[in-house]
Amino acid sequence: MAEFHAGGEGRTDAWVKLYGQAVYAGDVRVPGMLYGALVRSPYPHARILRIRTEAARSLPGVHAVLTGEDVRYGTYGRRVRDMPVLARQVVRFAGERVAAVAAESPELAREAAALVEVDYEPLPAVFDPEEALRPGAPRVHEAPWTYPGAVTGPEDPPNLQSRRVWQHGEEVEAVLARCRYVFDETYFVPAAHQGYLEPHGCLAWWKPDGSVEVWASNKSPHRLRAQLSACLGLPPDRIRVMPLYVGGDFGGKGSPMDVPVCVALSEATGRPVKLVLDYEEDLSCTNPRHASKVRVRLGVDGEGRLRALDVRAVANGGAYAAFKPAEHVNLNGFGEAGNTYRIPSVRIESLIAYTNTVPRGHMRSPGSLEANFAVESTVDAAARALGIDPLEFRLRNVLRTGDLGTLGEPWVEARGEEVAQAAAAALRESEPQAPVGRDGGRWARGVGFAFYCRAAHGGTTEVALLPQPDGSLVVRVPFPDQGGGQHTVVRNVVQRELGLPAGFVRVEQADTSQLATDSGVGGSRVSLTASAAAASACAELRRRLEEEGLAQLPVQAALAELARRWPQEVVRASVSVDEELWVNSVCVQAARVAVDRDTGQVRVEELVTALDVAEVLNPASHRAQVEGGVVMGLGSALLEELVLEDGRVVSTNLHDYRLPSVADLPRLRVVLVPGGKGWGPHGVKPVGELTNVAVAAAVANGVADAVGVRVRRLPISAEEVYQLMHPREGKA
Amino acid sequence: MRPLEYVTPHSLAEALERLAGSDPSETVVWGGGTALGPLLRRGLVRPRVLLGLERVAGLQDLSLAEDGLRVGALVRLADLSRSPVVRGSLPLLAEAAGRVGNVRVRNAATLGGHLAHADPAQDLPPVLLALDAQVRLESVRGTRTLPLERFLVGPLQTARADDELLTEVWVPAAAFGRRTAYVRFTPRSSQDYPTVGVAASLRVDADGVCREARVAVGGAAPTALRVPAAEAALVGGRLTRERCRDAAAQVESAVDPWDDTRGSARYKRAMARVWTERVLEDLASEA
Amino acid sequence: MTGAVVELWVNGEPVRAAADGAEFLAEFLRERLGLVGTKLGCGIGVCGLCTVWMDGRLVSSCLVPVAVAAGRQVWTVEGLVALAEGRVHNPPPGLPRPELVRAVHRAFVQCEGLQCGICTAGQVWAVCALLSEEPVPPEGRVREFLAGNLCRCTGYQGILRAVQQASEEWAQRAAP
Ligand SMILES: Cc1cc2nc3c(=O)[nH]c(=O)nc-3n(C[C@H](O)[C@H](O)[C@H](O)COP(=O)(O)OP(=O)(O)OC[C@H]3O[C@@H](n4cnc5c(N)ncnc54)[C@H](O)[C@@H]3O)c2cc1C
Ligand code: FES
Ligand code: FES
Repeated sequence: MAEFHAGGEGRTDAWVKLYGQAVYAGDVRVPGMLYGALVRSPYPHARILRIRTEAARSLPGVHAVLTGEDVRYGTYGRRVRDMPVLARQVVRFAGERVAAVAAESPELAREAAALVEVDYEPLPAVFDPEEALRPGAPRVHEAPWTYPGAVTGPEDPPNLQSRRVWQHGEEVEAVLARCRYVFDETYFVPAAHQGYLEPHGCLAWWKPDGSVEVWASNKSPHRLRAQLSACLGLPPDRIRVMPLYVGGDFGGKGSPMDVPVCVALSEATGRPVKLVLDYEEDLSCTNPRHASKVRVRLGVDGEGRLRALDVRAVANGGAYAAFKPAEHVNLNGFGEAGNTYRIPSVRIESLIAYTNTVPRGHMRSPGSLEANFAVESTVDAAARALGIDPLEFRLRNVLRTGDLGTLGEPWVEARGEEVAQAAAAALRESEPQAPVGRDGGRWARGVGFAFYCRAAHGGTTEVALLPQPDGSLVVRVPFPDQGGGQHTVVRNVVQRELGLPAGFVRVEQADTSQLATDSGVGGSRVSLTASAAAASACAELRRRLEEEGLAQLPVQAALAELARRWPQEVVRASVSVDEELWVNSVCVQAARVAVDRDTGQVRVEELVTALDVAEVLNPASHRAQVEGGVVMGLGSALLEELVLEDGRVVSTNLHDYRLPSVADLPRLRVVLVPGGKGWGPHGVKPVGELTNVAVAAAVANGVADAVGVRVRRLPISAEEVYQLMHPREGKA
Repeated sequence: MRPLEYVTPHSLAEALERLAGSDPSETVVWGGGTALGPLLRRGLVRPRVLLGLERVAGLQDLSLAEDGLRVGALVRLADLSRSPVVRGSLPLLAEAAGRVGNVRVRNAATLGGHLAHADPAQDLPPVLLALDAQVRLESVRGTRTLPLERFLVGPLQTARADDELLTEVWVPAAAFGRRTAYVRFTPRSSQDYPTVGVAASLRVDADGVCREARVAVGGAAPTALRVPAAEAALVGGRLTRERCRDAAAQVESAVDPWDDTRGSARYKRAMARVWTERVLEDLASEA
Repeated sequence: MTGAVVELWVNGEPVRAAADGAEFLAEFLRERLGLVGTKLGCGIGVCGLCTVWMDGRLVSSCLVPVAVAAGRQVWTVEGLVALAEGRVHNPPPGLPRPELVRAVHRAFVQCEGLQCGICTAGQVWAVCALLSEEPVPPEGRVREFLAGNLCRCTGYQGILRAVQQASEEWAQRAAP
């Protein structure tokens, strides 16, 4: 593996970022550009009676003020196209775009936006997903099934956004009825923001020839182009999405967001228009994680074996489904419930409801954290109730190689036991921190475990190799590197395949006119497909070198000669993986926690993350993905909640929406358990969405071990634990 | 275009003149701008003139004299935390100043701005209350000195008149050499404002009898709050567990917190008690 | 009408600006001067994306109105890079030493102290300021000092390793 990692060269994008020269959406400057700003609804549900734009228009330097009536484009969405570019007649969440302004400076645009007056007639609103699904609830949309791409029908409850059921084995109710023990628990995971630090931004330029150029903080340029094409009614080849760096994504940067309105402003003014949200807008009006309530019923037999699992999740989808890409616009992570165990009968149902709140999208491993927190807490509670050590209980039931998965998956392997043993050993090595002086008695200590398993998925991508006269190679890829190190993985693969020394491979992001297809960065699929595409492009290049009789030359000389003979030479390869791979990664997390008996404060003193790996294409980026995930998991476990009151987001700044800082972290230990079977020519397992998932359950289980209370709601706040420990005072 | 002028008078007299002659919504005093900056960005204040005090001689001074420590209103929190003079005389103040916000906030924020802002969850008000601090207010009409507890009136409200500048904070020498402690309880992130902050200073004689006591809490009432009833429970006897517990109970009934993302009112009330008791017990067992 | 014009120094060069009450240093640097290496995140002083050096101290440029920056020395990531490359003559006192900046850069590359890169300019400023003040800081101090520079990608571990490496290199060099 060592020869794989180009010696000390670091990431492809390290220097350009250190030098402050990497260009992100907000950094793009085009001559003559204007700045956009948005007018947003203060009401969660209201009819728009009248919009007065004269005052805004009359400010010198304001070039356009648009309302929904001025925009002739269709609605947009990643799958269900239910989101209007600007609201028409009705607003469905507080923060919805009602009007847009283009002006000569950002300050002026904001000032003009503040001058737009809108009269509303408030309408009855619904904020809670369970209420929304009850008969007679206020309707968020009159006929949601009529939107292009809709996945529900007129027979469904009117506020149903999506329903998905996963089922395997004997009918679950029948098995539960036969179980010696049934544990019935309900958990809650709140809304959360992805926490990328670069707010959404875009620049759109409607050219005089009717084509459109777009720069956007978006991780999947080809999909963005397709989504824009559908919304704007332009053929895809009239739209060019330009390469850009993305300042963090974590699931939140996969939609058109404000690009369509920005295009409308550009079309109206004939000028390029840049629109960058401020962080407050991003926190309250974009596409945060769903809040979910998850009920788990777990059936266990007299030998402590899991027999049946029934999971019912109800998630708040907000006012639009537009930000979810999956086929059922559901959260696939719910389908993973219980998947690290042998459970013969499983039924999982996930309902997502429309409500008059901010539309919801994906956050790193969507649905997985929610399902995992609920199921892994219930498993822990069951073990404790049965007087079995929770780790021992898990190992008794853990899925082994050769077992079918909970949904009948024929996994190529299942390494839960090995990985769990590695985690347990690492935790044993670390001694609990010595009690501090007089405070000694104040901290109660405990340990908690949680298991997680994630399937690998394929995708589609294309890679182009451009030999250069100096003997180096330019590699063009259709996707940005949003931080995950995908460009570096591609560089390393190409260097290894061709035996090129460090510094001779340069990876560039193409614009959408240069390469044909890509399914974007997401679902951790890029290192899989891109490394495969890069490898097959290299094979193709070697074939070309043979054809040209250059194969005997040293590689650099051969490339230089090829470039001289054929200056336009481009070697392309694409890979499309749409079959199931049956490859998974297992991650076991173990937390040593201390709980302050009098305040409920939870301190994670040590967090061990053990994971199952196969080949690692770029150890440094791999490690960074693992560590970044763990800390994000700690944020979800202990800090982060996007608070809504009366349908409005009220934690609208980074004081109230708290992200972990470096001062808030415990010791982190990462244990790689090598030897797994990965997929593709390099045998890799995905890692990007693996290590953030089980932290919350591990910490909650540690709290249960320390002080005997079961936290059923994230984040695990001191106050929550305090109230569970002092129930009587809690009522006072 | 909304013109904004930053004026930096060269003398206190000039600054006071300027302040006396202007409309308070048009002219605001600019310390480090860490509290004003966010308000200005969001258009919640829309002044035309920012009155900067950096050229006024004396406002950045820190001096230790017989009668105590004097800190100019323009001393930055970073300097306060690093100053050997403060570290020597009032280590608690230096340490607490070094915990406010983050490095950039401390580099900019001034002690005067910190106190004049009067956010009830701030760190230094309870610390300074426990140290008997007084603030000096000057205007063209004259100068007055107020104990800090009379200066802090309500959330974002102080006794400062529109034409007054806060020029100096004075900690009397009587507060030196006490046993002191401050806890900022931040159960979520160390970067939070405290859920509650508890400061105490005690003078204990050789027999272990408490002769003087100050107990103050932040984050749990409309202003940082001194709790005389708690102090009374401590003075005149040895610092037994019972006394500490009584004092903590007094704090619990004196506070008047509110719900926010750092905790519910009920929780903050309970935490004010828990942390008072802990702080006092720690101080009691100090040699 | 146009308001007062102020003058300040950015990366050692004098620049003029209209003191618009709604314009802050972060936007001024980015939009007017095109110095987009300084990023804008939270806008309230929490995240550290907009970190710049002003008159000897790190500040959040999102909280400094342009008018208040009048007459001051402001240095951005672009200036820091020029410094590292030895392109700055007579830097004002208090800026990090060029060798230190280079050591920090190298350490960030080798230790994977960055991913998406949006926080990186601010992180580098903070690390340079810390090591200028204290070449071998204990870990607790590192965490305290860097707590105001958020990073969502790295989980901070790569940054901590980079500080450690840069500190070792720098301490060796600084030692006589
Ligand atoms: C990211 C961040 C985190 C923070 N975290 C904390 C924390 O953990 N704990 C905490 O306690 N605080 C915290 N704060 C608040 C911080 O302490 C205050 O913003 C700061 O102390 C205010 O000082 P300043 O000099 O910047 O005030 P300014 O913003 O300049 O002024 C504040 C107010 O005081 C007035 N004023 C300023 N100077 C004078 C004077 N000399 N005379 C009269 N009036 C004056 C101004 O007109 C204004 O009304 C945080 C702030 C930020 C931005
Ligand atoms: S943008 Fe200035 S600190 Fe976050
Ligand atoms: S590298 Fe992305 S936020 Fe730090």
